[in-house]
Amino acid sequence: MPRKFKIAVSGSDSDRAASQVHDIGLHLYRNDAGQMGFEVIVGGGLGRTPVIGKTVRKFLEPQELLSYLDAVLRVYNLNGRRDNKYKARIKILVNAVGIEAFTKMVEEEWQFTKGKDLRLPQAEIERVKGFFKAPDYLSVEHAQSSLETEFIAHPAFATWHKQNTRDHKQPGYRIVVVSLKNQLQAPGDISHQQMDGIAALADEFSFGELRSTHDQNLVLADIAQRDLFNLWLKLTDLGMGRANIGTLTDMINCPGLDFCSLANAETLILSRQINETFDDMNYQYDLGEIQLKISGCINACGHHHVGHIGILGVEKGGKQVYQFTLGGSASNDASLGKTLGRSIDQDQVVVVIGQILDVYVQQRETDETFLQTVQRIGFAPFKERVYGTHQRSAA
Amino acid sequence: MALIKDQQLSLNHVATPDIRFADWLDDDLIKGESVLTNGADDLTCLLANASKLDMIAIEFETFADGRGFSMARLLRREGYQGEIRAVGDVAMDRIEFMHRVGFNAFELRDDQNVNEALTKLSEMSVHFQPSADGKGPAYMA
Ligand code: SF4
Repeated sequence: MPRKFKIAVSGSDSDRAASQVHDIGLHLYRNDAGQMGFEVIVGGGLGRTPVIGKTVRKFLEPQELLSYLDAVLRVYNLNGRRDNKYKARIKILVNAVGIEAFTKMVEEEWQFTKGKDLRLPQAEIERVKGFFKAPDYLSVEHAQSSLETEFIAHPAFATWHKQNTRDHKQPGYRIVVVSLKNQLQAPGDISHQQMDGIAALADEFSFGELRSTHDQNLVLADIAQRDLFNLWLKLTDLGMGRANIGTLTDMINCPGLDFCSLANAETLILSRQINETFDDMNYQYDLGEIQLKISGCINACGHHHVGHIGILGVEKGGKQVYQFTLGGSASNDASLGKTLGRSIDQDQVVVVIGQILDVYVQQRETDETFLQTVQRIGFAPFKERVYGTHQRSAA
Repeated sequence: MALIKDQQLSLNHVATPDIRFADWLDDDLIKGESVLTNGADDLTCLLANASKLDMIAIEFETFADGRGFSMARLLRREGYQGEIRAVGDVAMDRIEFMHRVGFNAFELRDDQNVNEALTKLSEMSVHFQPSADGKGPAYMA
């Protein structure tokens, strides 16, 4: 194939796989007739040419998943550009020919593979499903706990429970997101002691399974309510109990100049500054959901284009400066952030973040998230605050 | 340069043509000839004219250009029966895949070992993906 290729699969109503910014995104859903199938999205991607993927097929029966993807890949292999590696990705092809023409090419090619060898037999689907059997859950009576005494005795536990755990489809259980965003480590970093510790906790509390997420956290997917308090105590001991999931400090941060040979700018210094400056958790809770994403160069490993606030490090005249984007999203309403204005010096980054947050706090309506406020009021108030102030202080 | 054809070392075969498909098209389209092609040629046109050709040599110019795989696959799908010869960067670790998509001849460089290539061609007995060789995915077996 012309170049690397990434497929993201999302099986829930809310897209947590950033599937609209992958070469192929697959959304498994149930249609109006009650059948399961995939919506197939192609041609998304970030990097130097960020693009939101487009739907190439609204509904694909699961049995034909492989035959259909085979057709997409063949069309890409034969028609993707070969002359320039930056233009060799499927997103460039889809944009060049347009989604209608691309869809037609895929449909034509699919006629040769559809219903043939690549059609998955139901027995094979069932066999693979067999590897994903639900664990041996305890009965509700044994698993559940109201946790009320613990909440009262330990308000920090109550906060963590609210911030870092999610509803579970199994009664009596919760999903725990383990934050790898504490104040002292680089976002997503974990020491070997913590690794050993969390592995033991997965064995003890979550059927030996631990998942990592694209936003640089870990998930213990099956925790009985009655174990939550013990788990929290142990996570806290390990330095992994920070209750900041979904908040400003739950940022995605690429390694940047400290560790990456492609980087143009440092990024870890920013997460340090952000953690030092915005250390009041109540302020973060009040701000609500904010996705801050930071990349150290145009390759966009930190997904800055789809951050509610995105920061891209660039080098200008030997100096590291940072471009801000606002209004991006990697969720169901995927969108690319737009550039706020001229680049910001390294020592001003936290100041600017503070200004952006101030505008939000002043302008938000009841229950309005940061992203919604940006979408409603537009960029002008943010620009005025960030650049107006600078000009005044410079004058 | 050794040639492996139909799973054995070939000692008697036509040399790899130097006439390119595009030039052959421009000329008289002589039936029974052999041409050299690669991913840059018009595939629709090649498919339409393939039946006039005895041998089609597909060139892998660089490792990163995998169009030759799709070309061979489509030629076989359209029913082409002649020889499809892989030339250029016929990498050992891909030779089996080339074979599966429809190549039946492989031109090796002097530094490539014939026995190794022959082994590669029969090494794998089970596959995930169906291809031009008619072997279905493992779960169908
Ligand atoms: S975005 Fe750039 S600096 Fe950051 S990890 Fe990727 S390549 Fe390295």
